[in-house]
Amino acid sequence: MRTRAEANRQRWAILGVAAAVLVLSFVLLKSAYYQLVLTQVLLWAVLSLAWNILCGYSGYFSFGHAGFWGLGAYTVALGMMYFDLSPWISIPFCALVGAAAGAIIGYPTFRLRGHYFALAMLAYPLATLYVFQWLGYQELTLPMKREAPLLYMQFEDPRGYVVLALGLLVVALLISLKVENSRFGMSLMAIKQNEPAAEAAGINTWRWKMLALMLSGALAAVAGGLYAVILLVVTPETVFGMLVSAQALILALFGGVGSLWGPVIGAVVLVPLAEGLNAELGDVLPGIQGVVYGVAIIAIILLAPEGVYWRVLDRFSKRAPAAEPPSQMPARATNIAPLPRAPVSTGADLLVLRDIGISFGGLRALDGIDLTLPEGGLYGIIGPNGAGKTTLFNVINGFLASDSGAITFAGEAITGLRPNQVCRRGVGRTFQVVRAFPRMSVLENVIVGAFIRAPTDAVARDMALAALDRVGLVDQAEKIAGGLTTRELRLMELARALVPHPRLMLLDETLAGLGHDDLGGILGVIRQLRAEGITVLIIEHTMHAMVQLVDHFTVLDHGRLIATGRPQDVVRDSRVIEAYLGKKWSDRVAVPAK
Amino acid sequence: MQNSPTRRSVTAGLALGAVSLPALRVGTASAQAKLVKIAMIAPLSGPWARQGQLLRQGADMAVEEFNSQGGIKSLGGAKLEIIYADAGDNTEKAKNAAQRLLSDHPDLVGGSGAWLSSFTLAVTEVTERAQLPWLTLSYSDAITNRGFKFVFQTSPTAEWQAAETLPTALKLAEHATGKRPKTIGVIQDNTASPVSFGKHLREGGGLEKVGLKATVDQIFTPPLSDATPLVDKLRSAKPDFLLLLTSAMPDCKLVLEKLDEFKLGKGKMPLVGNGAPFGSPELLNTIGPELLEGMLFSVANWPLKGQEEFIERFKKRTGEPFATQDALCGYGDVAILKEALEAAGAADKLKVAEAIRQMNLTTGPAAQFFPGPIKFDEKGRRQDVPMIFAQWQKGVPLTVFPEDRALAKPFWPSV
Amino acid sequence: MPFSEVDFLQALAAGILVGSAYALMCIGLGIIFGSMNVINFAQGDFLMLGMYAAFYLTAGYGVLAFLGPYAGPIAAAFLAGPVVFALGWVLHRFIVSRVTGAGAAQTVGAGAYGQIIVTLGISLILQNGGLILFGSTPVGVRTPLSRQSWEIGDILLNQARVVSFLVAVTLAAGMYLFLSHTRLGKGLRAAADNPQAAIYMGIEVDRAHRLAWSIGVGITAIAGGLVATFQTFQPYVGFDFVIVMYAGVVLGGLGSNFGAFWGGLLIGIVQQMSTLVLPYQLQNTAIFVVFLLIIFLRPQGIFGRLSERA
Repeated sequence: MRTRAEANRQRWAILGVAAAVLVLSFVLLKSAYYQLVLTQVLLWAVLSLAWNILCGYSGYFSFGHAGFWGLGAYTVALGMMYFDLSPWISIPFCALVGAAAGAIIGYPTFRLRGHYFALAMLAYPLATLYVFQWLGYQELTLPMKREAPLLYMQFEDPRGYVVLALGLLVVALLISLKVENSRFGMSLMAIKQNEPAAEAAGINTWRWKMLALMLSGALAAVAGGLYAVILLVVTPETVFGMLVSAQALILALFGGVGSLWGPVIGAVVLVPLAEGLNAELGDVLPGIQGVVYGVAIIAIILLAPEGVYWRVLDRFSKRAPAAEPPSQMPARATNIAPLPRAPVSTGADLLVLRDIGISFGGLRALDGIDLTLPEGGLYGIIGPNGAGKTTLFNVINGFLASDSGAITFAGEAITGLRPNQVCRRGVGRTFQVVRAFPRMSVLENVIVGAFIRAPTDAVARDMALAALDRVGLVDQAEKIAGGLTTRELRLMELARALVPHPRLMLLDETLAGLGHDDLGGILGVIRQLRAEGITVLIIEHTMHAMVQLVDHFTVLDHGRLIATGRPQDVVRDSRVIEAYLGKKWSDRVAVPAK
Repeated sequence: MQNSPTRRSVTAGLALGAVSLPALRVGTASAQAKLVKIAMIAPLSGPWARQGQLLRQGADMAVEEFNSQGGIKSLGGAKLEIIYADAGDNTEKAKNAAQRLLSDHPDLVGGSGAWLSSFTLAVTEVTERAQLPWLTLSYSDAITNRGFKFVFQTSPTAEWQAAETLPTALKLAEHATGKRPKTIGVIQDNTASPVSFGKHLREGGGLEKVGLKATVDQIFTPPLSDATPLVDKLRSAKPDFLLLLTSAMPDCKLVLEKLDEFKLGKGKMPLVGNGAPFGSPELLNTIGPELLEGMLFSVANWPLKGQEEFIERFKKRTGEPFATQDALCGYGDVAILKEALEAAGAADKLKVAEAIRQMNLTTGPAAQFFPGPIKFDEKGRRQDVPMIFAQWQKGVPLTVFPEDRALAKPFWPSV
Repeated sequence: MPFSEVDFLQALAAGILVGSAYALMCIGLGIIFGSMNVINFAQGDFLMLGMYAAFYLTAGYGVLAFLGPYAGPIAAAFLAGPVVFALGWVLHRFIVSRVTGAGAAQTVGAGAYGQIIVTLGISLILQNGGLILFGSTPVGVRTPLSRQSWEIGDILLNQARVVSFLVAVTLAAGMYLFLSHTRLGKGLRAAADNPQAAIYMGIEVDRAHRLAWSIGVGITAIAGGLVATFQTFQPYVGFDFVIVMYAGVVLGGLGSNFGAFWGGLLIGIVQQMSTLVLPYQLQNTAIFVVFLLIIFLRPQGIFGRLSERA
């Protein structure tokens, strides 16, 4: 998240660039042709920025933004042809159309992920294309208004359109900037980085995704509306076709996906390039311009896989001096909010699972699980691969719905609640695979955990710092996460789950893959959490550490609970030995250290 | 042939020395011929590149021949220079091409193109505002429905063609067989011209006026994946003849082959089509002459009696097996511009436009290339134009109607 | 709109025949999508290359002209496969492998961004390069089969399409056997399911991907060669098929080649049979509606496996 000062600088940069473009275009670009191309550069940049708001930040790739663009274009065209509606009115109205379309599309489509989502998005504009052809709108032309051209946005001087497009671009950039700097953007990026983790950290992922799609759709539709005014001819293929969706993608990916300036860079380089190739080579050797363009984008993307912007940034940040100690680093004692001291081990039951079961297809993944966790204490869940341990966590968290049984947390039934709601009630969760924002600081990585509790960003910052302090990472708060070791990554993951002061922590294989020395550090942190009164339920494979760490053990095998009790008792249980531990462990039971 | 300002300025900057010499020479030499610039925008790349290629062949030939015949006499023998721009595969490229042409060559006096009606619409929005006279062969009514003053449509509109095609076809049928068809099957795609054509038939009462009832009426979205469901309906409804309005050759092929497959080919189901793709050499190459024998189609322009010499020249020059609408219009548009320049007596686009408006040519090179007089009404549409019909006979599509310009006699296919 | 039994059966037959060509294309795409998790935007253009390969092998002085108009086109379709296979091999080796699989695993998004641009770029190059090499005139592979049909009662079955159907089914069966019963094939599937584990097991993921890619484009090219016997085409024809291919693959189930076949077939059936009840113009909209329905009701497709795990 940027600081106030940085955000202001960016805002001035946007206005400055816009002013420069304006001046340049009025002074340098004398020909109507260059002005037209400039207008197109600006409009495509807006579409690409709109695409970026949803896809660049959240990682949900859409191959169907032509749907919004086309709806905007047709709104303006039909409005003018049948209702004599001036574009001055219909273009802002396009924002409503785009947002509505986003809501209607998002509702069913966000149930999908990854490629499925992208391909479903692909289907919408193409299906709409055929519908518009069927309706008889093959070719719409915006009527020429000789009497009151300005009223209908028909300028004689093409620079009028440059001004409008530039204005729209400034709006799009400011919106993107606002998104980037707000929890909206941070939440989207957390979704991109690790959606389940974000959800488990309390972020209402569905709501943010919907908002992003609606905003993205609104902006794309407005740009499409202005496009119709400039092109004056609207056909289904031109505005709903794959080329439009592809263009939005290509510009953003080329310029730098998920960045503010990336789409603009992409538009500024690629649109004139394509047009220039058409102009110079179009009649010389028809087709060669497509070949050259294809080669160009391949070459550049091989050199800069995430886009020009990030490539350049990485180059420069390598050359920048080593990060200075952050000037705003809070002194350890003063700025950190005092820890809420939870009652230590009241003995009351914090988490109760009764007869939890779930099936996948024909497989019974969990069956008849009964588990009671009193508050305060360290509990372990262990079992062979495929026993259902992570599935159990997913059920507790709300990622999966059990088909039998009930879960109570602190006396309240939480069965069927969504993960972010479960988090709200005080459950924190870490995941096996830690995915960090490589280019952001540790603090920025962790701060998303604060959004459910912190009313302001400043409070969120403080909470995040406090959590980092608890795990011992506060000195690394400003360090770029890309350079962290495995141990530090795990601690960071822990910190994020800790930020909203959970009462129960679900740790999924936090110790996996750590060497002996690293292990000690993390074990210490976990023990400290317990000392502070947090109940911890941990899944682990590292038998040695588990036995030393936990008070109480539960063993799962093939979805069933086969043993539960103190470590020294469980490891002797013949069923457990049979299922998992093997004979040697029954001989090697260590005295549990406290 | 095309120089962008950037290229020009760079070349000029680097070659100052070399340039000054011819510049001096232009000053001293007195008979250096001037150049008059006209433009053509056509799809040279993309899915319609073939059509653009044909337009260009016609236009290039015209420019070469007119220049070798002495150029524009009223301008002191000034030669024509034609500048091409690629309309590409979408409307944005077409519009950009138009704007680029105008910006690079402010001294253009006229132009023609862009074949596809949506491209033409986009291009003419630009040329109208620049007051550049523009000719087009596109059929779509929308082109000349906008109240524009500088757009001239050399083809009759799709609506008009719809009104003319059926009565003429029916007359031919009656003449040949003694019976007047009562039922019709209509299969069309949903691109602009067939839609206009079809609208006239259905909503404009075109079918009723000629006493026809449509027992099959299907509209499809190109490209056609399989013609089976379409032709199957014909098989059960058995109309007296089939009106086929497809604008892309691949779709024609699918339907024609499917007709043969369903035993409705080779004359069993008389076919009437509309549009140049029905007479394309590619159709002949992919289907072969037997399936095409007897197919009638109405078209805006087709080789007429009196053009035989031109056709031979064209075939020799381009290697094409026969001349088609696109090549003729490409040639003819240049001819019209030439005539306009001759009449205007100045390389001025406004005067050229006025000359076109005043035109009423029945003789001369331009009139030779279009059926009927070259005369445009206030919308930019031609008047008193006969509907041209061509028919495939022994592997060549020959004009059969109107009789005075026909190259062959028509027959109505019968069982 | 009432339709007769004959109409129904005829539409069904048409759907199956059309669908078989789609099915074969989808298998090609499915292999790539399933093994490499790459959305290949250029798949339609490899289809186009297959069409042209078949065309040049049979037309005029083409090598296979001596086989006559019946066997020639079929042989040409088969030969189109290896030709495009080779091209695909080279493309993967030098370009595609940089943004997919092991080569890209280290970058953010595992090279997902690069893949899209690279395949889009390849698509542009193939289409426009095709225009330069082949010209713009639409061409087709001529065979009398395209206008003859076998009759079953009142139902007419186009011969060229039936031949294409038979070839497609045979190839699909062959691919299925290859992938499930040969070591090479199983290696491909392992590389798809779990590249990390596959590496540890000694399966060269990169090589496996290259094979998958080349086979994928090769199979689609053969489908193209078959389609070329009844449809005319020009260099930009690939576009029309890409969407159908993706719909088919997703419908059938990502990661399941078996599913890709059925998905393609289903798309063909929906496309042709929708004309019985819907206006002809909405054929393809019907495809998308079915596509979207399946994605919502059963996102893993008919035969696919749910693989997105928390």
